[in-house]
Amino acid sequence: MAIKVKRTPRPERPPLWKRLVLGELIEGLMVTLVHNFRALREPFTVQYPDEQLPLEPRYRGVPRLRSHPETGEELCISCHQCERICPDRCIHIEDEPHPSGRGKRPRVFTIDYERCCLCGLCVEACPTKPVTSIYMSHDFELARYRRDEFKADLRELYFGKDKVVYGRRS
Amino acid sequence: MSEPLELQGADRDEGTVVLNMGPSHPSTHGVLRLVLDVDGEVVTRCRADIGFLHRGFEKIAENKTWTQFITWTDRMDYLAPVSNNVAWALAVEKLLGIEVPERARVLRVLLCEMARVSAHLLWLGTHALDLGAATVFFYTFQQREILYDLYERLTGARFTTSTVRIGGMARDIPEGWLDDVRAFADQVTKVIDECDRLLTRNRIWLGRTQDVGIISREDAIAWGCTGPVLRGSGVEWDVRKAQPYLDYDQYDFEIPVGTVGDVYDRYLVRMEEMRQSVRIIRQAIERMPDGPLNADAPKVVLPPKEKVLTSMEALIHHFIIVTEGFHPPEGEVYHAIEAPKGELGFYIVSDGGPSAYRCRIRPAAFVNLQVIEKIAVGQMIPDVVGIIGSLDPVMGEVDR
Ligand code: SF4
Ligand code: SF4
Repeated sequence: MAIKVKRTPRPERPPLWKRLVLGELIEGLMVTLVHNFRALREPFTVQYPDEQLPLEPRYRGVPRLRSHPETGEELCISCHQCERICPDRCIHIEDEPHPSGRGKRPRVFTIDYERCCLCGLCVEACPTKPVTSIYMSHDFELARYRRDEFKADLRELYFGKDKVVYGRRS
Repeated sequence: MSEPLELQGADRDEGTVVLNMGPSHPSTHGVLRLVLDVDGEVVTRCRADIGFLHRGFEKIAENKTWTQFITWTDRMDYLAPVSNNVAWALAVEKLLGIEVPERARVLRVLLCEMARVSAHLLWLGTHALDLGAATVFFYTFQQREILYDLYERLTGARFTTSTVRIGGMARDIPEGWLDDVRAFADQVTKVIDECDRLLTRNRIWLGRTQDVGIISREDAIAWGCTGPVLRGSGVEWDVRKAQPYLDYDQYDFEIPVGTVGDVYDRYLVRMEEMRQSVRIIRQAIERMPDGPLNADAPKVVLPPKEKVLTSMEALIHHFIIVTEGFHPPEGEVYHAIEAPKGELGFYIVSDGGPSAYRCRIRPAAFVNLQVIEKIAVGQMIPDVVGIIGSLDPVMGEVDR
């Protein structure tokens, strides 16, 4: 098949009168002028953090754990599949027998947010029903003061981070 | 102990000064360091020092399963993550001998071309910013913002998409998404035209770019340039046309080529490429067929969630793919795609294990960047900035 080629021609030199009145520059300035008025009418940016843009439903924030949406039971069966597929090896699970006598539940479950690359592979691996036990939350503001604060334990994974008040620490 | 780069082979008596540019210089697009020998304002020698962003991706590929490595490819050419995902997935699929269904193929083309527009918009904004035209940057970044929102809706992430899977795609198209992509295509054409009006005939822009950093046709081939850098020098080569993958031969588009091979030609080529990409985006939206997204390969592709809970076989496949990965046959493959920067290829050697025995990445930006040592010589220092911009290196891909 012949390759369809398009030569990119060099523009011809504008006529003398246009060059004398700096025509090309004025042409460009017209573009910026139109944009200026448009930006005044409908600004494109928002004043973060006072205003926040809505997140899309599929947005992948840091992974968290959840319980059964109706019964509130713990969903995780401690099958270690998320731990295995995680490309960054940032999930750590230790199990204990489930109190009901059937199966297992996690005694320790930590996700190292410092290493997590928010890929979502763990969610694809999780086999629980009706929803996956591990899910990509919409949390994205992750600033913490110390490195060890990035290791999210069971409590944080279920209930989220305690509200941090930023400012000078006494 | 070896001498530092700025002293190697330097002749102090010649009257030249060694000028260090980078690695954290705003116009070197990342962490590129150039050591320039200058005689007055004129560069007499240019040496590129790279490796500041080296993360050892080829070694990582030997230690991660085929699926896990997808998340790393995002971080190579981080301006067009989907292209890297697709290149890796196509290489592994070639090794496995599976082909994805048509819907996945069209979606991949659509995402790749959106990535091309996104990468070229960023290049246009920063290139113009480097050469003193700051306004263009705001217009192009506004469009990229819309693109990122579209990516976020489909993949869940704005930047590191990780949405391509070996044998298919991870997520299907959300409702109304295609219409928004079509609206974006209409809108971005207008912005490209506006940037065209701002720059293409602007006499300052012409003065800064024309006849600067000329790469001759022969040099471009000899140095192994690909992508817009090669086409700017007038060579008619595009992997999408020469070795069509993902049914690119069924799309109607042209490849732009330049005439002189200077910075201005590479600018014209990329501008035209964006327009052609928009054409492909429109055609891909029209073509988008219904049907499955994932290939029928139960040993490779994760089964759908409902099946895992009902069918024993699916559960076993799920468990094995997740915990162990899949085992492609032994062999070697090379698959290249036309990424925004040029030919991006993966050369994989497999010993039949769950990860690559050896993976060699052929990055476009790395190869294109070398030529700077030749073309910067004899140019003024401020022109080096324009040359870097026109070669469009992404250090994530150069250093890997
Ligand atoms: S999102 Fe990815 S990196 Fe993060 S815990 Fe899940 S699998 Fe690991
Ligand atoms: S994959 Fe799901 S059920 Fe299994 S250990 Fe992880 S969170 Fe728990």
